[in-house]
Amino acid sequence: MKAFSGLRIALAVLAIIYILIPLIVVIPASFTSANYPSFPADGFSLQWYTKILERPEFLEAFFNSAKFAALAALFSVIFGTLGALGIAKYDIPGKSYITALLTSPLSVPQLVLGIALLMYFTPMMLAGTSTGFLIAHIVICIPYVMRLVLTGLSGFDYNLERAAAILGANPATVFLKVTLPLIGSAAISGGLFAFLTSFDNVTVSLFMVSPEMRTLPIEIFSQMQDAYNPIVASVSSVVIFISVLLIIILEKIQGVGKVFGGSHHTNG
Amino acid sequence: MEPIRSYASQEIETETNPIEPQQKPKLKKRKAWVPGLLLLTPILLFIFGFFVIPMLYILYLSFISTDNLGAEDAVYSLKNYTQLFSDTYYLSSLWLTVKISLYSVLVALFLGYPVALTMARSSARIRGYITLLIVSPLLVSIVVRNFGWYLLLLPNGTINQTLMALGIINAPLKLLFSEIGVVIGLSNAYLPFMILSIVASLYNIDPSLDKAGAILGASPFRRFFSITLPLSIPGIVSGCILVFSLSMSAYVTPALMGGANVPVMPVVIYDQINNLLHWTFGSALSYILLATTVISVTIFTRMFEKGKFKEVFR
Repeated sequence: MKAFSGLRIALAVLAIIYILIPLIVVIPASFTSANYPSFPADGFSLQWYTKILERPEFLEAFFNSAKFAALAALFSVIFGTLGALGIAKYDIPGKSYITALLTSPLSVPQLVLGIALLMYFTPMMLAGTSTGFLIAHIVICIPYVMRLVLTGLSGFDYNLERAAAILGANPATVFLKVTLPLIGSAAISGGLFAFLTSFDNVTVSLFMVSPEMRTLPIEIFSQMQDAYNPIVASVSSVVIFISVLLIIILEKIQGVGKVFGGSHHTNG
Repeated sequence: MEPIRSYASQEIETETNPIEPQQKPKLKKRKAWVPGLLLLTPILLFIFGFFVIPMLYILYLSFISTDNLGAEDAVYSLKNYTQLFSDTYYLSSLWLTVKISLYSVLVALFLGYPVALTMARSSARIRGYITLLIVSPLLVSIVVRNFGWYLLLLPNGTINQTLMALGIINAPLKLLFSEIGVVIGLSNAYLPFMILSIVASLYNIDPSLDKAGAILGASPFRRFFSITLPLSIPGIVSGCILVFSLSMSAYVTPALMGGANVPVMPVVIYDQINNLLHWTFGSALSYILLATTVISVTIFTRMFEKGKFKEVFR
């Protein structure tokens, strides 16, 4: 008995290390004093962090990523929350088909989605524009927001809304004072998740960016393809830091596992 | 209302009468879902306009055999689809994609099962921590995770140095820019999905079955292989399908960990679209990739559903 569960736990620990190790090695590697990326780092210095500030393309890419991620999160939360409310609260015919349709962008490979949007945007003059980029990111984020808000609404007691209405509140007041506070945490975690999804996206963004407008993961991607430079380690560490910060907030609000729980459509 | 209905044909009358008491609330509901549809309108329009139509548009493009997009002389044919079979380069790329995806599935299954089993047998708190640990990396950009692997897999990287120091190998292995590197990158990226799928099916197993096995004197080893493993087959199958389909269409990891040495379909498609500007051919290749994934997944599922484990799939 002991031997069997011992083996199981040992393998499990190994697998968890396997999942985490690529992230673990990046941070120490970013403090190297050498001119080439390595792990373990050769010496210690902060030079590659100060060099980020000397490279305007990284800073610009960072602000682009943050701006578009915030906008994508905002729009997908508005669309997603309204849609989820419509599905959860009203007995719409073909409800399950509508839900499947709205989460279907997840089951299409991002490469194919990127190509489809590029082809579609080109005659519309939207290819390579910030509008096109934003639209593409909203499409990717919507399914996640839908799923999180629908989960948040699954235990929602509509009697509370009815009670407020009986007590004389108008529909707007009911929504602002009753519905919104109760689904707020689901909507906020949907927004945070959408932000991270958009901020980290590479595949769809590759088809949407233009030379004038790049995002941080795209910048890292092309730096990695051209020449490996320790600055990639320090920029990556900044990305890890931002992600971990948002993951902690997300975990406090709703639980990170919920987004992925039992999903059959999630696409990386 | 009543008299009108009684003049209607016999058939309708006999059918409507017993249903009538239920029909009233239904009529009420029909009005009641209108605001729901209004709430759904923006998101539905958005998904139709920027997802459904673009996907159909590239399907349409894939049947145009000229690259004069939208030109008057566009010729519709299956040429883009047949081109794949006439050129061994695309066929071998498709096979390479399937092969690498299968390896990634095997690695993910082997490493994922013990984690899933440990999660299923832990307290809710430990389970929460493990979930957080395995899911969080999914929220860090894939380029960052691949960069971590790059550092480990370099010819003079940690893994090669450790293996050489232990005397297992004499010369550094070619881990980066090789199929091994791509399999490591993919299995690492999609392992969490495998774990979550298996955990979901492990929760559904009645714990008294394991207890019954123990009372009847079966060893933990025997109980695992005769009870737990067969009953978790649906989770294994859905995990494998998920990791397989994700690996089939992954672009970033093969591009970074394999480069030109590992020309899987997504890398080839990207090249066709972005570098060679063969848009219609690239669109056709996208749908071929999608079709290959769907067909392989269907065959795989059928094999299990019709085979020995038919009863666990109910």
